[in-house]
Amino acid sequence: MYKCKEIIELTSKGMDSSLPWATRMEMKLHFLMCKTCSQYAKQLQFMNKALGALEGHSHVHSENCQLSESAKQRIAKKMQQAKETVK
Amino acid sequence: MTQSNNESPENWLNDYGDILYRFALARVRSEATAEDLVQETLLAGFLAFDKFSGNSTVRTWLVGILKHKIIDHYRKHSRELTLLNNDESANDVLAYQFDQQGNWQVDLVEWGTPDKSMDDEQFWLAFNDCLTRLPQRMADLLLLRTVDGLETEECCALLGFESDNQLWVTLSRTRVKLRQCLETNWFSKE
Repeated sequence: MYKCKEIIELTSKGMDSSLPWATRMEMKLHFLMCKTCSQYAKQLQFMNKALGALEGHSHVHSENCQLSESAKQRIAKKMQQAKETVK
Repeated sequence: MTQSNNESPENWLNDYGDILYRFALARVRSEATAEDLVQETLLAGFLAFDKFSGNSTVRTWLVGILKHKIIDHYRKHSRELTLLNNDESANDVLAYQFDQQGNWQVDLVEWGTPDKSMDDEQFWLAFNDCLTRLPQRMADLLLLRTVDGLETEECCALLGFESDNQLWVTLSRTRVKLRQCLETNWFSKE
């Protein structure tokens, strides 16, 4: 029988790989009996879902953080050079 | 599809520079590296613009290029990154959550219907903040594996894990830490 501490590790592992059938059955049984572990598993699933949607929301990461003026100038110059090379 | 003037490469830096920069900074945590990645992305986009199909927005297309540049960055610098792996044990979190026998000794906060949070900009601030608080290699691992979908083997090689098992244990601890942070910074506040 797995302990809760082992179940949370298996829950994480099961999200990224396939676990043996017997392990999955034992986990299912554990979730039926243990509210906290099944709650934990649901919360991890939500976290995975949020990570999947992260790409569209990474822009809210500190709105006031911007490219510095010097970096902008440097990049603009490189873009200009590239344009001239292509011509 | 005709390109409007707004989408011409001259305007990319102004229109998308900051978005790309924030995206990169959230991943690499170094301003100089993030700036370099933005530059590489815009140049690559400029050179490949004739291949842009117009099926997505220019913004989405550029973010896609940036994602590849970020993975390339990890591939190029994997050896340096492995030196930075400190502070990864989640023993602090695990110790107060579980008793000696490995059973829960705390109740988890009820998250209600967490999907609703995903429409809230404030949630994403909290989520990004929690990712930033993770030790660097833990955040790298979680994002390379779950967001970028790199194989276990490659994650081990890039981030210096010695065995698959070490990777699984670390990934689980990363989730323990992230979950705890979300609970404290978001779900307990609603």
